[in-house]
Amino acid sequence: MSNILDVELLNVEFNINGNYYHAVNDVSFHIKPGETLGLVGESGCGKSVTSLALVRLLSKSARVTGNVLFEGQNLLDLADNEMRKIRGNGIGMIFQEPMTSLNPVYKIGAQISETLLLHRDISAREAFVQSVDMLKKVGIPRPDEIMDEHPHQLSGGMRQRVMIAIAMACNPHLLIADEPTTALDVTIQAQILELMRDISNDFGTSILLITHDLGVVAEMCDRVVVMYAGQIVEQGTVDDIFFNPQHPYTRGLLNAIPKIDARSKQRLQPIEGNVPSLTRMPRGCRFSPRCPHVTDPCKMQSPELFAVDDTHFSRCWMNEKREI
Amino acid sequence: MLKYMVRRVLEAIPTLLGVTVISFIMIHIVPGSPVRILLGNHYTLERAAVLSKELGLNKPLWIQYFIWLGNILHGNFGFSYVYDKPVAHLILQALPHTLIIVVVSILAAHLFAVFLGSVQAYYQDSIFDQIATVINYLFYSMPSFWLGVLLIIVFSINLHWLPSGGIVSSQVSNPGFGDWVRHLILPVGSLFLISVAGWARYMRSSMRESLLQDYVRTARMKGANEFRVVFVHALRNSILPLITMFGLSLPTLLGGALFIEEIFNYPGMGLLYWDAVNSRDYPIIMAITVFLGIVTVLGNLIADILYGIVDPRIQYR
Ligand SMILES: Nc1ncnc2c1ncn2[C@@H]1O[C@H](COP(=O)(O)OP(=O)(O)O)[C@@H](O)[C@H]1O
Ligand SMILES: [Mg+2]
Repeated sequence: MSNILDVELLNVEFNINGNYYHAVNDVSFHIKPGETLGLVGESGCGKSVTSLALVRLLSKSARVTGNVLFEGQNLLDLADNEMRKIRGNGIGMIFQEPMTSLNPVYKIGAQISETLLLHRDISAREAFVQSVDMLKKVGIPRPDEIMDEHPHQLSGGMRQRVMIAIAMACNPHLLIADEPTTALDVTIQAQILELMRDISNDFGTSILLITHDLGVVAEMCDRVVVMYAGQIVEQGTVDDIFFNPQHPYTRGLLNAIPKIDARSKQRLQPIEGNVPSLTRMPRGCRFSPRCPHVTDPCKMQSPELFAVDDTHFSRCWMNEKREI
Repeated sequence: MLKYMVRRVLEAIPTLLGVTVISFIMIHIVPGSPVRILLGNHYTLERAAVLSKELGLNKPLWIQYFIWLGNILHGNFGFSYVYDKPVAHLILQALPHTLIIVVVSILAAHLFAVFLGSVQAYYQDSIFDQIATVINYLFYSMPSFWLGVLLIIVFSINLHWLPSGGIVSSQVSNPGFGDWVRHLILPVGSLFLISVAGWARYMRSSMRESLLQDYVRTARMKGANEFRVVFVHALRNSILPLITMFGLSLPTLLGGALFIEEIFNYPGMGLLYWDAVNSRDYPIIMAITVFLGIVTVLGNLIADILYGIVDPRIQYR
């Protein structure tokens, strides 16, 4: 079966004081029907910029090139009104901040119905009925009453459920979730992830799950794309990434996951240093200033994405010789 | 909601009483006996005795106040010296004229300012926005009488398009509706221009803020078009600060209207007020002062209630 999403050589540049700087660099990946793809990396690696570029919601100061093929259509070529037919309909999206993502002055019911009314030729009453139904599906208690309430009357977890209801109202084939649980506390986080897993199973929705938390990836994803400083540094199945990580950055992220196993006295080891800013990208391998295995060639020339095997790729000079 | 409104109305009563107290004190610090002032040309010893008893001038001041309060609650503001008529009658005659120019200009100015400010914010820093900002600033800093005179010079004296004042043309034998409207254009236009400038500035900055919010991104993600994003999602949030401003600025606005009426010789409350000031017609001055106080309090009340309607986070307790 053909892919839901094919991203080919996506580049995003921002105009900063008259110069263009890359925030996303030659990013290519795909998502198959029903698949959940994890996009991981520390804060500032370009995950949100990538996701907003896919649905063309970046500000005008951004220059986006490449191809974003959604069900065979190149979204970057569409007219504005055609793109609007995709947003909320073919692609749903939820964001990190459930507290501020809903409009404070409108009722929950109106905010869910809006998506339906924008894309479906149905009456307001029908939209209302379907919205209640959607609220039920995302596990909101007393859906009829909640329809009549305003966002400030709901908790963060409830609001994120409402956001999911809005995103899923038109039964999109792709759901983009940008750090959907980062702002929530741990128990609520687990509930929201479970809900997303149910949605993926029940509706067959493909999910692009953006997170900085590899623990979330392990629970949710089929395949993983690891991003660093605007580039993909490693890509593979969940097993590839967790049991056979190649790139030192990926290994660094894995070491930073809190272990539940109490016997292993291993301390958390966050990677030293910071993600470089757009205007100060290091020469050569972008991770080299923070890499424990850095060698001289790393500082001179940027490695390409080498194949480890046919599903697994790594952007590290150490993987160069493994070519078969 | 109804409970909230009733409560707010009840809360406004002390303020209103305060306004009457100030007016009452005013008439007592004016030199001359209140009876003489109130009776004006009708002054006779007989009447003075009757009125003295009526006002309870031999009683303590606070009792006098309540008697006077009772009178004005019955619409009895006394007699105008100059016009020789009951003040209430004069005010009722002038009020509709003032109401029409104030209400029309406020409504038009708000609608236009909300629209202009929104469009400016959406196309911020474009050539259009910059030109509009300069023009806004020009009108914003212009004194109202200056603007009125300017409009008269341009549209009445130079272009002969519109009458420079009054409310009917004396040379026309049967002035109709059209003639009346022509007399309204310049006073309404001046008030409109004065208030649009300030409101558009507030609206622009408020809308700029709203357009950066996360819920705007959510609206776009739903597939809403830009018109809907601005005028449905961002607009309602953007007018919240303006509603509060509206309540606070109502007295200023009315003050502006009083000036404008004077300039256009327009027979509303403003003209009545200025004539009364010039001829020391105290009963009229007092009545209009009380009236302005009431309007100010009402303005804040309306703003509170509107705010409650627009912002669901306000608790009606
Ligand atoms: N509108 C913008 N203009 C300039 N730089 C931006 C803009 N948006 C994001 N960036 C920069 O792009 C980089 C990637 O940001 P982002 O995609 O938000 O990271 P994250 O992986 O945490 O989601 C960051 O360095 C950020 O500062
Ligand atoms: Mg982000």
